Amino acid sequence: MVKARINGITVKVPEGTTILDAAHKVQIKIPTLCKHPDLRATGACGVCIVKIKGSQKMVRACCTPLEENMEITTHDPEIVAVRRSVIELILSRHPNECLTCGRNQNCELQKLASDFGVRRESFPQYLPDIKPDTSTGTIVLEPRKCISCGRCITVCQEMQNVWALSMLERGIDTRISPAGDISLADSPCVNCGQCSAHCPTGAIFENDETAKVWQALQDENKYCIVEIAPAVRVAIGEAFGLPLGQNCTGKLYTALRRMGFEAVFDTNFGADVTIVEEAHEFVERFVHKKGALPLITSCCPAWVDFMEKFYPDMIEHFSSCKSPHQIVGVLSKTYYARKKRLDPANAYVVSVMPCTAKKYEIKRSGEMFASGHQDIDVSITTRELGRMIKQAGIDFASLPDEESDHILGEYSGAGTIFGVTGGVMEAALRTAYDYITGGKLKNIDFENVRGLAGVKEGAVPVGSHTVKVAVAHGLRNVEAVLSKVRLAKARGEEPPYHFIEVMACPGGCVGGGGQPYGVTDELRVKRGKGLYKDDEAHTMRYSHENPWVKKVYQDFLGEPLGTKAKELLHAAYKARPEYKK
Amino acid sequence: MEKITKDRLDEVLKNPPPENGRYIRVGMSSCGVAAGAAEVFALLRSEVEKRKLAVPVVPCGCSGGCHSEPLVEVCVDGLPSVTYGKVNAEIAMRIIEEHVRDKRLVQDYIVDAPMKRAVAL
Amino acid sequence: MTTTVVLIRDTDSGGADRTRDVHDLFTQKVRDAGLQNEVQVVRAADLGIYNKGMVAKILPQGIVYAGIADADVDDIVTTTLAQKMPVSRLVYCGANEQVRIVMRNCGIVNPECIEDYIARKGYQGIKRALYDLTPEKAIEELKTSGLRGRGGAGYPTWLKWSLARNAFGDRKFVICNGDEGDPGAYMDRSVLEGDPHSVIEGMMIAAYCIGATKGFLYIRAEYPLAIKRVQKALDDAYGTGLLGKDILGTSFCLDLEVRLGAGAFVCGEETALIASVEGKRGTPRPRPPYPSDVGLFGKPTVINNVETFANVSYILLNGAKTFASIGTDKSKGTKVFALTGKIRNSGLVEIPMGTPLRVIIEDIGGGVASGKKILAVQTGGPSGGVIPEQHFDTPVSYEHLLELGSFMGSGGMIVMDEDDCLVDIAKFYLGFCVDESCGKCAPCRIGGFQMLKVLEKITDGKGMPEDLDTLKRIAQAMRKASLCALGQGAPNPIISTMKYFAEEYRQHIVDRKCRAGKCTRLMRFEILDTSCKRCKLCVVNCPVHCIAGDREKGYRIDQEKCIKCGRCFEVCKFEAVARS
Ligand SMILES: Cc1cc2nc3c(=O)[nH]c(=O)nc-3n(C[C@H](O)[C@H](O)[C@H](O)COP(=O)(O)O)c2cc1C
Ligand code: SF4
Ligand code: SF4
Ligand code: SF4
Ligand code: SF4
Ligand code: SF4
Ligand code: SF4
Repeated sequence: MVKARINGITVKVPEGTTILDAAHKVQIKIPTLCKHPDLRATGACGVCIVKIKGSQKMVRACCTPLEENMEITTHDPEIVAVRRSVIELILSRHPNECLTCGRNQNCELQKLASDFGVRRESFPQYLPDIKPDTSTGTIVLEPRKCISCGRCITVCQEMQNVWALSMLERGIDTRISPAGDISLADSPCVNCGQCSAHCPTGAIFENDETAKVWQALQDENKYCIVEIAPAVRVAIGEAFGLPLGQNCTGKLYTALRRMGFEAVFDTNFGADVTIVEEAHEFVERFVHKKGALPLITSCCPAWVDFMEKFYPDMIEHFSSCKSPHQIVGVLSKTYYARKKRLDPANAYVVSVMPCTAKKYEIKRSGEMFASGHQDIDVSITTRELGRMIKQAGIDFASLPDEESDHILGEYSGAGTIFGVTGGVMEAALRTAYDYITGGKLKNIDFENVRGLAGVKEGAVPVGSHTVKVAVAHGLRNVEAVLSKVRLAKARGEEPPYHFIEVMACPGGCVGGGGQPYGVTDELRVKRGKGLYKDDEAHTMRYSHENPWVKKVYQDFLGEPLGTKAKELLHAAYKARPEYKK
Repeated sequence: MEKITKDRLDEVLKNPPPENGRYIRVGMSSCGVAAGAAEVFALLRSEVEKRKLAVPVVPCGCSGGCHSEPLVEVCVDGLPSVTYGKVNAEIAMRIIEEHVRDKRLVQDYIVDAPMKRAVAL
Repeated sequence: MTTTVVLIRDTDSGGADRTRDVHDLFTQKVRDAGLQNEVQVVRAADLGIYNKGMVAKILPQGIVYAGIADADVDDIVTTTLAQKMPVSRLVYCGANEQVRIVMRNCGIVNPECIEDYIARKGYQGIKRALYDLTPEKAIEELKTSGLRGRGGAGYPTWLKWSLARNAFGDRKFVICNGDEGDPGAYMDRSVLEGDPHSVIEGMMIAAYCIGATKGFLYIRAEYPLAIKRVQKALDDAYGTGLLGKDILGTSFCLDLEVRLGAGAFVCGEETALIASVEGKRGTPRPRPPYPSDVGLFGKPTVINNVETFANVSYILLNGAKTFASIGTDKSKGTKVFALTGKIRNSGLVEIPMGTPLRVIIEDIGGGVASGKKILAVQTGGPSGGVIPEQHFDTPVSYEHLLELGSFMGSGGMIVMDEDDCLVDIAKFYLGFCVDESCGKCAPCRIGGFQMLKVLEKITDGKGMPEDLDTLKRIAQAMRKASLCALGQGAPNPIISTMKYFAEEYRQHIVDRKCRAGKCTRLMRFEILDTSCKRCKLCVVNCPVHCIAGDREKGYRIDQEKCIKCGRCFEVCKFEAVARS
């Protein structure tokens, strides 16, 4: 522990605590711009400077550890003047486009300028002339608004280990760009959107497709169907000032119906189907030794893309089962359309996801058109939906709860925890246990696959067997798990795991790249808790016991892994180059 | 290459080798080379060889007098060592013929190179 | 027997050069004394002494006589040449002379010959460390020597080493910083080219002290000769067993390798350099942790400048006390400066710390070649400051330069005379920093750029008095909030010129005049009707066609349209275009 004084207030913190964090402990807020709680401090912006008694210099609070007996001043006229100058300098290289910016009212730079009461341009503006990069259709790079804080690069390189983004050029011409100055679509980018979720400004944002949705809703010939992903329900409330992690499922159904959707479904239904298929796959491989082990989950499209680019040797291990939202999509345009006597050509399916990669997934291969049409017409993020609800004049916070539409809206507790790291594994194990042993688990809460540790491992006794599992989230954590698998394969040894779950985003989809801004571990945990509570609140906690899932199999799909199921619910993978061209 | 051992180094300290009394040194650092030292060096070498003069032509680093490069330091029997500055092919020939062969210093090109004195070396 | 040589040189810059006359007189007198077979009288080109009248230097004794009148020649011949006695009234004792520690072998040894270095007591320092000193003792020795880093900041070398020694790490590294990017500085290149083994030995000592087994010499790629010589030196050191395993019969092992610098100035900053060696984008990172704790590949690393290492091998050879006897209280030893600009003798000088600037510039450098008035000297590279002539009696040391708003830096020293415009000079240095900013941190990236725009405005004749406040405000933000010393120091040339040459700024802004005529946009061009020969050369050359007239009335420049490009002034063959 070190003891020191900040603005005369005594603080005691563990050794290595930064001045920034220590100050926070005693209710002193030092402004920051480039520092993000998820990320290593890079010291890029220079806004958090403070004085240490006895030194002429000012130091950066974000990356200077507090030392014994230091006397820190965080605010005095000189410090504030320097901060103001730095902010104004940044503004002199940043367009005044708040009114038309995706980050308006939600922008860290704007907030800082507002807090500091910047009322005029002290320095003339010199703006760079760089075109936006819209090549991916998932996220948009708008380098003109970039303040070179470096967060996205740390995210892409260190958190996600993708290395798609880098800084190019030097000095005043410094700009973010895909490494090698190619387009993002040609880069290794896996569309996870984490860069956009961490950018303090409007320089990286989701490709806004709300206009398409509005247009479809206006179109009388279109029958608009919507589905919401598990993680959306525990995050959307943040856009309306509701408590963090509050489950807003009922309000969401109401809001979507009021916006004009004719059928309001839930991706959680698809999750239950995914589990039925995936658990069958697992039993095939684990018990009947048909197919490679470990089995690896495939419901995260960023992870699938990452695997196809960096781990194509793992293709045989991948579950061929589609992700839940694709399943709801294809069932909407086949099963549901038939029941409703609807021409699938007129059905318009919108998925609301915590995710930017889903925008890519809906067109990623021919299998995403299994209904004969594009199964999902457009996928929007939680952030986009938040804006749409506001545009529709809906007072979300006060909405009454409604129910989802039947059948594709009914879900089990297992389906809902798909949105949090470890959840897919947990849901699958519940069902697989039943399939293998014919009995029920005593304790169905798998604590050791929950939580935010980057890699979680466990061994689950299933009858006479032990199932070894691993869960990784945040793509940088994949390597630790898969290198073990590779090693065992190379040596011809038993696989180290039987079942692996990977989600690209730290925390899983609750921390998705399309979720409301300001994500921290604390928030991830709160959102996750919201989902676990939803699970506990369900009496039905096994995917395969969802009666409506059973009914769809009976009426339409036939057997799990059967011909029809294979045709509609499964997909194949192929190796892809890291760099196109 | 012969290994350098502790004994070898002790020996140098005990019996320092005599300062080589005979040489033509050409400043061959970047500043010298840029001013034409390489040509001067080659010329001096070939002349010394041709005339079978008993004085080695060796390269050395920059002693600091960059404004007068190429610098050529000449030390031959019977004459104190002096340094010539801004040496070109013509002066190099004169150094060979007048200074080395005839033992007559060349007029007008000597520069007193910055002190090559180290304290307590 | 060695012939006595009398070198003659007239060192006065004004008036006719009398070297030849005195030489002839001397020769005559020598002949008269019958000494022609023992004495040669030679006209020298430069004796390194200036403005001291007629000077004679007697070799090999090295006696110097200055201010010699024709009448004195007899005396010198009879007393000194014949009787070997000095003529004391004429003896000239050079003021403070150069002292060679870093450059002790430069210009003497063949840099490609390890034997030459060994003959000059090379590798005795590491031998002593290995056999007679523990690492702690060797660090103690450096502490006694008072050696501070020569790469800029002057951090005590021993402290850096002992931090790295005490830091925990399964591997440790030493790095020699040979990135040398300051405009005008090239002493590191010279040492690497002229005496590479002295640097290698210094690195060996560092490695021994901190427990490193691997090291890198980071040399900028623009120094091919230095790279070649260092590589040859490394090869020879390996060949003779001085590098590699079991060095000098002990268990000490060290591998050294050359890495080429990418060319960016900021890669000389230690954390950026480390990133660059690791193969990453060369940008600085916040410190702490310092490289001595978390350095190359996350391991404790000592990184020192070329000159620092060359000093280390000297100190271990000759002892800390010898070293510490030179210099000032807080700045020990010598410093090499690269003297350039408006100076007669541009080149490298190595002087004891504490030598006044004036001695360096006037006595060693020979003053301004043109005979014009010296205005100032710039030290410390692009982030140093400009020191005006009235402070030339300040001794050179880390502290004193800092007091004057400049700093030691790596040792560039650029002399300016009346022909230089200080605003223009400040703009040049700032422009350098703006070009070289890595762009990582906002204050430097944008602040430098904005300051440069303001300076351009001023030198373009569009300055306003409040621009000076803007400059000060940005400078404060850059100094306090930039991440590395590049951005922190970039405003120094502006702040120091604004302090010492406020009048120049005023002239540019208020009078719209540039005293030195460097800021062409502040010039007024006019055609002198009486000298004009009506050739129309200026008319066709003016890029904005603002010169009009005819043969009758003559030609005139439309001052409103003139962009002050100066083309007319350049092309006129009859000096009929006046510039003011
Ligand atoms: C922009 C910048 C450029 C630098 N360039 C060099 C350089 O070229 N050579 C050097 O030795 N030190 C340079 N330094 C200083 C190094 O960061 C470091 O302090 C030095 O290498 C330490 O060695 P020393 O303790 O021997 O001085 C530079 C620093 C900055 C901020
Ligand atoms: S990024 Fe922020 S400050 Fe910039 S235009 Fe958008 S809202 Fe405004
Ligand atoms: S979306 Fe993900 S992979 Fe693509 S650039 Fe952003 S962080 Fe990198
Ligand atoms: S795009 Fe955003 S996160 Fe990336 S450097 Fe620019 S401002 Fe920072
Ligand atoms: S973890 Fe979830 S939100 Fe993130 S990329 Fe994967 S599916 Fe999308
Ligand atoms: S001060 Fe300049 S050079 Fe240094 S880190 Fe900041 S931007 Fe880069
Ligand atoms: S160039 Fe000179 S001489 Fe010719 S017209 Fe112009 S001013 Fe007259």
